[in-house]
Amino acid sequence: MRHKLGTRMVTDTDGDVAISVKNLHKSFKLPTERAFGLKQAIFNRLRGIKGYTEQKVLNGLDFEIKKGEFVGIVGRNGSGKSTLLKILAGVYYPEKGHIVIDGNLVPFIELGVGFNPELTGRENVYMNGALLGFSNKEMDEMYDDIWKFAELEQFQDQKLKNYSSGMQVRLAFSIAIRAKGDILLLDEVLAVGDAAFQEKCNKFFASLRGEQTVVLVTHSMDNVRKFCDRAILIEDGKIKDQGDPDKIADEYLKLWENYS
Amino acid sequence: MSIPRILNKKNRILLKELTKTDFKLRYQGSALGYLWALLRPLMMFAILYVVFAKLLKIGNDIPHYPVYLLTGTTMWSFFTECTSQGIQAIVQRGDLLRKIAFPKYIVVVSATLTAVINMLINLVVIVIFALINGVTPSLSWLLVPISLVELYALSLGLAFFLGAHNVKYRDVTSIWDVLVQALFYAVPIIYPVSMVANTSALAAKVILMNPIAQAIQDIRFNLITTESMTSWNFLGEPWLCIIPIVIVLVALVIGALTFRRKSKFFAEEV
Repeated sequence: MRHKLGTRMVTDTDGDVAISVKNLHKSFKLPTERAFGLKQAIFNRLRGIKGYTEQKVLNGLDFEIKKGEFVGIVGRNGSGKSTLLKILAGVYYPEKGHIVIDGNLVPFIELGVGFNPELTGRENVYMNGALLGFSNKEMDEMYDDIWKFAELEQFQDQKLKNYSSGMQVRLAFSIAIRAKGDILLLDEVLAVGDAAFQEKCNKFFASLRGEQTVVLVTHSMDNVRKFCDRAILIEDGKIKDQGDPDKIADEYLKLWENYS
Repeated sequence: MSIPRILNKKNRILLKELTKTDFKLRYQGSALGYLWALLRPLMMFAILYVVFAKLLKIGNDIPHYPVYLLTGTTMWSFFTECTSQGIQAIVQRGDLLRKIAFPKYIVVVSATLTAVINMLINLVVIVIFALINGVTPSLSWLLVPISLVELYALSLGLAFFLGAHNVKYRDVTSIWDVLVQALFYAVPIIYPVSMVANTSALAAKVILMNPIAQAIQDIRFNLITTESMTSWNFLGEPWLCIIPIVIVLVALVIGALTFRRKSKFFAEEV
């Protein structure tokens, strides 16, 4: 039997805290020597091998995000940022600790979730919209705007596999920015594409500031300085420091000096 | 997981979209498209009919045997399609689970709904065949949906249970493929139960305690001919009659509970 898991609660109150994270832990079981398949599982059981190693990713995080705040989360690759975002989004379960989310949370972790190359642009828009939680009526209403914003109107009934990757990203982004919630979780995967698309992304980020609670995971210290009210630096699954974005950005850059 | 959450609007829309895309993708790129939903079971029926009814001369004593046979094969296809699609659903939609949070059961249900749609289309064909074959419509036709729901509940329960294990051990898919082959002969689809009963009444009773057999025989009884043997008219004892129902309920409850417990870790294990 597994031990008791952590909790993730979604509430809707008038308090001023949007996200509260207490003592959050998460580790992954990484299979060793091909623990996939029944045969190996039985072998491992017989030989008393666990069949996996535990990789501790988050090691007791505590933080709070106030309503209306734009918070940047920074850290090197593998520091646990994305795992944290996925736990906040409800994709992964917290292993230990408590998360309280106050308000409607819109995860923006990856563009074009559910996109299928064999379906037409139109079908993909509706599929993706359903995953983002839009009703059919809402989708009908914004359908034309989505295509106009993506500048792809003439390709609506083409199969997605005939789109270039840039076109796909544009379409996905155009749907995603219509998602309305109290809290937005943004991963930096959004920051792909050409210069013009970057510009659009940045404009979108800027428009959010002061309007909504935003959690942005990024490697771009420029974005941290430009958009964030506060930043959190994560290192080895722990919070190394948090506070003023400029201070955190400097600290992050110093991490690199130490290692290079 | 309370009932209102299961049926909330957001989940319903998602279920609808996933089912739509599943159905579209199934017949994507084939010239005959959706017609295959009809053609496949009909071809399967044609083969079985030629081999068993014509060459081996089974079922001569059953009125409307061709329709009787078609009903059996259609319901069997429904069961196998439902379970095998449902079992693989989580793995197939792995990319979705890894990226976005939503109730995982939707993926399994949407995969099985494609099988439901196929079965309903085929049911229309069965009714047409039955009428051509001279079966008189009767009020008992209205009882058929009960058996369909029962068969679906069983498939869903198995899909939940096996699908949840399939995430970690993909062997489940292969094991189930073989089991289904064996199960095919344990269910009176190509042979009438009466044939077994003539040799061993006990064997026939065991066969009829299988909920798949019970449901199929009930459908045949209500739809085609009251001369077919059912669990109700052959098992006799009431407590024996409820065994198939109990099996279905147990499968559904254990399946749902197992799935709910394991689904928390699908995103990281898939």
